[in-house]
Amino acid sequence: MAHRFLARRIWTLSVTDVRCLPSSAVASSSRASFLAPSRTLAVSHAVRRAVSFNVQDNEDFTERVINSDLPVLVDFHAQWCGPCKILGPRLEKAVAKQKGRVAMAKVDIDDHTDLAIEYGVSAVPTVIAMRGGDIVDRFVGIKDDDQLDSFVCKVIGQ
Amino acid sequence: MAALCTVRHRWKRLKCLQVFTRNLTGSYDYDLVVIGGGSGGLACSKEAAQLGQKVAVLDYVEPSAKGTKWGLGGTCVNVGCIPKKLMHQAALLGTAVKDAKKYGWQMPETLRHDWATMAEAVQNHVRSLNWGHRVQLQDKKVKYLNLKGSLLDEHTVRGLSKAGKETVLTAKNIVIATGGRPKYPTEIPGAVEHGITSDDIFWLEKSPGKTLVVGASYVALECAGFLTGIGLDATLMVRSVALRGFDRQMAGLVTDYMEAYGTRFVWRSVPKRVDRLPSGTLQVTWSDTETGREHRDTYDSVLWAVGRAPETKTLGLDKLAVQLNQETGKIVVGPDESTSVPNVYAFGDIGEGRPELTPTAIKAGKLLAHRLAGQSTVLMNYDNVATTVFTPLEYGCVGLSEEEAERRCGKDGIEVFHAFYKPLEFTVAERDASQCYVKVICERGGDQKILGLHLTGPNAGEVIQGFSLSLQCGATYPHLLQTVGIHPTCAEEVVKIHITKRSGLDPTVTGC
Repeated sequence: MAHRFLARRIWTLSVTDVRCLPSSAVASSSRASFLAPSRTLAVSHAVRRAVSFNVQDNEDFTERVINSDLPVLVDFHAQWCGPCKILGPRLEKAVAKQKGRVAMAKVDIDDHTDLAIEYGVSAVPTVIAMRGGDIVDRFVGIKDDDQLDSFVCKVIGQ
Repeated sequence: MAALCTVRHRWKRLKCLQVFTRNLTGSYDYDLVVIGGGSGGLACSKEAAQLGQKVAVLDYVEPSAKGTKWGLGGTCVNVGCIPKKLMHQAALLGTAVKDAKKYGWQMPETLRHDWATMAEAVQNHVRSLNWGHRVQLQDKKVKYLNLKGSLLDEHTVRGLSKAGKETVLTAKNIVIATGGRPKYPTEIPGAVEHGITSDDIFWLEKSPGKTLVVGASYVALECAGFLTGIGLDATLMVRSVALRGFDRQMAGLVTDYMEAYGTRFVWRSVPKRVDRLPSGTLQVTWSDTETGREHRDTYDSVLWAVGRAPETKTLGLDKLAVQLNQETGKIVVGPDESTSVPNVYAFGDIGEGRPELTPTAIKAGKLLAHRLAGQSTVLMNYDNVATTVFTPLEYGCVGLSEEEAERRCGKDGIEVFHAFYKPLEFTVAERDASQCYVKVICERGGDQKILGLHLTGPNAGEVIQGFSLSLQCGATYPHLLQTVGIHPTCAEEVVKIHITKRSGLDPTVTGC
């Protein structure tokens, strides 16, 4: 718990203009579902670690994010957040490009409100990069593919 | 952080421990504990925290009889004002689309409304507000606890989690802002098993279909109104009068419009029983109180809107001898929101005689926080609070009803100016404006101070808000005469008003 507070002091915050502020609701025309692909991935590659998964509860977060050997991008998102539906697939693509060198954990902030609050999430989407249980970087809002690629590379440490 | 005790042993032993701790340190866990995270509770707790107090707020939603539950924010955010206004808007848009044809838009012959699309969008917005409130509490450093709160004594609150785990908090001051819940007419067989309330309607995933709304409150009228507006078969069953407590004449105009608009009305009737047929539809048997005859019809849904009551039983108030109003179950409060128990306060919907409105709860909560922090002695002013009923034809008002003004000043002591008007937008759309009306009630002599202002028409709430400021400033009829209207608007009819009821002249005004 203590190291998380320490880590919080060293993260950098970059904010883009397009994001969901808590009090606004953005309607989106289509809903991309990530549940099916991620679940399939987690189930059929049980031996190999799932690259992209939905966090189930606090224990799951501790086990698969904090205690992960890989760096993990935590995507805090919400059902009611339009920009989240745009960022989600882009993040998956950026993570997939790294071929298993980084994992992605998806946290629905309505299901895991306390966890989101604990990590200082206010607007969504918020992406927090964690390595060895520490927060190493984070951003709020949408990024394009190139920006995401460089963010992910930085997190892996290339 | 907070010294929260998780109770594992008997509470009697704990009480000794608590008293011992308190005496030793002379302090409580919190300066203020607020029970209830609705409009009032959140405003009060955030304000108190900003004034430097150590505050905790307990919010817990007991699921409705149908199992509906929701997040932080209280009635207004989850099952009141917000979803109601959004669904009212959905209905108004349906009417606007019909009007559009007359304005040249090439519209399809029939237009269908999809409940699921609307419901999902509304529910998503509400969820974003739940989150927003959570973030605000965090930002303002208010401790949030998702626990069902009750009082153990005047300085001790017990919080119960969903899993049954107990937490005990001590506080210098305790504020109760738990609001109310819809009442079920439990004496009617089948009412609870087969009916829903306003707690459920906004969270339905499937359309309620052909609906019977029982009641005559603004909740009943607004629900029946938007259900009709989105194309559903809606019936309103009224026992005696509609919108009790509001101006009688205005209430009549509202219901007249609804009847012309397509809502079926069953007057002076009470339901006797609700049964579920093998097909799944609900059969309602009711009795006409005038003829005594029984009638029967089938509906897909039955919505009870027969009043709201607080859950004072589960608050532990009887243990502390907090005075309640025997009839309503609400807490008897003083002008400073105090209860019969020192340092226990109550405000918002749960206060006896208080308006059941979000803005009054918010303001009262903030003022209370200031008084508890010793920063002021200003009391909440509950007079001249403007409000609006969001029925298909909206009704906005501020100040006294005509009945109340007559009661206070006598029929000869007041002058009532009135006018029927036609919104310009209705002309091309060929819409009936028979119920669009404005009424200004003034003192007859002296300054001719404005006592009450009433208006039915589109965007009534937007219109009345501005005029409520004028009442706050002591506006008089001469002030109104000096004010130049904005043209062409509906609001200008207020400042142009000149025909009195007393004169007997025809109050129908024509355009310029």
